[in-house]
Amino acid sequence: MTEAVFQETTAERRTQSVPLAHLSLELGHLYMEDFEAGPKRLAEHFAEVRIWVDAVRASAARRSRRPRISTCFLIDDYFTRFSTPAELVPMVLKEAEKAGLVIDYLARESACAVAERIELAESVMHRLVESPPPGSYGSRPSVSHSGWLANGQRTPSTSRSALGEVKGWAAPQETAARNHSIFMDVELWSEKDGKRLWSCPFLAAVWQLARLGLLRHLGEPVLLPAQWEGADFPQDWDRLPPLIRLTDTKAAFSAYRTCTLMPNRFLAVEDAVRLILDQIDVDAGALQQVAERSAGEGMPVPAAVAQRATYVFYEEPGDSSEAEGT
Amino acid sequence: MTAAFGQPARSVLACGEVRTCLLPSHQAMDGRAAAQLLRLRADEHVRVSERPSMYALSPEVLTGVDCRLPASNGSKVRAVGTVAARASLTEGRLLQSTAFFSLPASGPDMRRPWGQYLVRPGLVEPFGKLPQQATAEGVLQGARRGELDLGMIAEGLLAELRRHPLLDRRVPFKSSPTRLRWVARRTSDGERASLVNFTLAEGGLRTMELRLPEHIPAASAAGICEDLALHDWLLTTVQHMLDNSRLGTADGPSVVETLQPVVVHLLHLWMPRAHVDPALGHLWDVLEEKPGFSRQWENLSRRIRDRLALQAVATPHQALSTR
Repeated sequence: MTEAVFQETTAERRTQSVPLAHLSLELGHLYMEDFEAGPKRLAEHFAEVRIWVDAVRASAARRSRRPRISTCFLIDDYFTRFSTPAELVPMVLKEAEKAGLVIDYLARESACAVAERIELAESVMHRLVESPPPGSYGSRPSVSHSGWLANGQRTPSTSRSALGEVKGWAAPQETAARNHSIFMDVELWSEKDGKRLWSCPFLAAVWQLARLGLLRHLGEPVLLPAQWEGADFPQDWDRLPPLIRLTDTKAAFSAYRTCTLMPNRFLAVEDAVRLILDQIDVDAGALQQVAERSAGEGMPVPAAVAQRATYVFYEEPGDSSEAEGT
Repeated sequence: MTAAFGQPARSVLACGEVRTCLLPSHQAMDGRAAAQLLRLRADEHVRVSERPSMYALSPEVLTGVDCRLPASNGSKVRAVGTVAARASLTEGRLLQSTAFFSLPASGPDMRRPWGQYLVRPGLVEPFGKLPQQATAEGVLQGARRGELDLGMIAEGLLAELRRHPLLDRRVPFKSSPTRLRWVARRTSDGERASLVNFTLAEGGLRTMELRLPEHIPAASAAGICEDLALHDWLLTTVQHMLDNSRLGTADGPSVVETLQPVVVHLLHLWMPRAHVDPALGHLWDVLEEKPGFSRQWENLSRRIRDRLALQAVATPHQALSTR
């Protein structure tokens, strides 16, 4: 078919593609307490992470002879602000290096909420399409009212019948249950003083989508890494770009698959992340680009987005509960 | 065996319902306001086109369903997937919403993880084999209780848009919304798309049957159905206004008063095929042949212009005689 002579750019829909590595590998995730505990604690974490990094690289080598792997590290500046980039970042980089690890990309957690004035979390929230329980024939339940997302049907709220007797308890039901339910209900945000605070699992879901190269804003890529040349990091978190590249790696930040290494206390959070990812209607153009390119390289991605994320949950080094002072 | 995940599964049937109504706003909307109205998602563009007429199309939003498919023979086939819905605004005046989905010939006998349905937007999979004929007929007849309800999804989107703060909810004249239900049977790629049937039913309901080659997306079929629904609404509405205006009777309202809104808001909207996939534009030909949509519109427009011309000639005399 011939191309039309007349075209209108505002009438077309385009999705720009992003460079993609084979694997995006996250080198651990820490709470503020861990940073507060000082370099020794960081060193213990990275020493543990190092072992699993080697295992993940060996696994990737089975898929490709020359795997493109980029590493990343996320620092929480959203829920609590601690120290300054000038103080913290060099310490993290130094301890990682001592363990034989290289951090290619560094991101701030608040970037998953808002990056370069784009409300990423808000946009992703609008893309939630809830898994319909059996019997759904067209009504659209709205997450945006409750702020909670479940993997099935909740227990009906207790109500009294006309005669005043309280009805018996009814069990919640997981929609995709095998024999028995594992029902989960995830809080996506809370409101405080009229301000919305996104939950940790929701921001982590946005983080996963960014690493999987599936985030777009009006067809354009978002969270593009800024090259960081200088040795000095700023005194204020807000002055650090949301995502920076620290090395001259050729492996892109986003990748076909992600692997996240983290202490096993994050298991519940990441299970919630998968629940969220499983109910997001991702940009169709981005989805297709990733599917085609991964298939072209002979390593097709799993169709469902949540299946592209893998994890290694390791035992925390040392006694962290002691360090937390609880 | 169904298609691999992520691959577009081959559909055998596409179904949809279009709702058409006047935008509840005193003034027609400009392109910028239209883009704001139809921005169903913050991160996706509204497509706005200014030639040959102003037309804005929203991104598609999905609704998850897990229920029985409508069926004319009472067969109870459960189906799971997503229904796509979108809205459009033509010349800032006519608002439409469409809900549509495609069906493959068969699907697995169990529900998959939800994420696997989401990567195939607008596809609803039957449990087992799809009773094609009964489903197509069932969709055209309309959903019964508990069956997949396209009308409800289309109406839900329309209702959401009608409540938009940009709208003053003051209509320049009274009119009734129309519904158009359509089904498209997939044919082999060698065959050309064709219109099998267009029925004007009562209560503002129209039904349409198409044959659609595999390579033409369901969204394009939705596009031609929206185009036909829009022009059918224009014919219906203007005809109704002329019929009910008691024009020419001594005690009727003035001709200018009655016909002014038609001239100001509707006469320029007639533009068949303006934003239709070129591969489907020819579906208009059958309807132009019989009953002759454009012929009827020309006739209506001429009647209106003639009435107004007569009025213009008569007015000075009236003005003189009342002195």
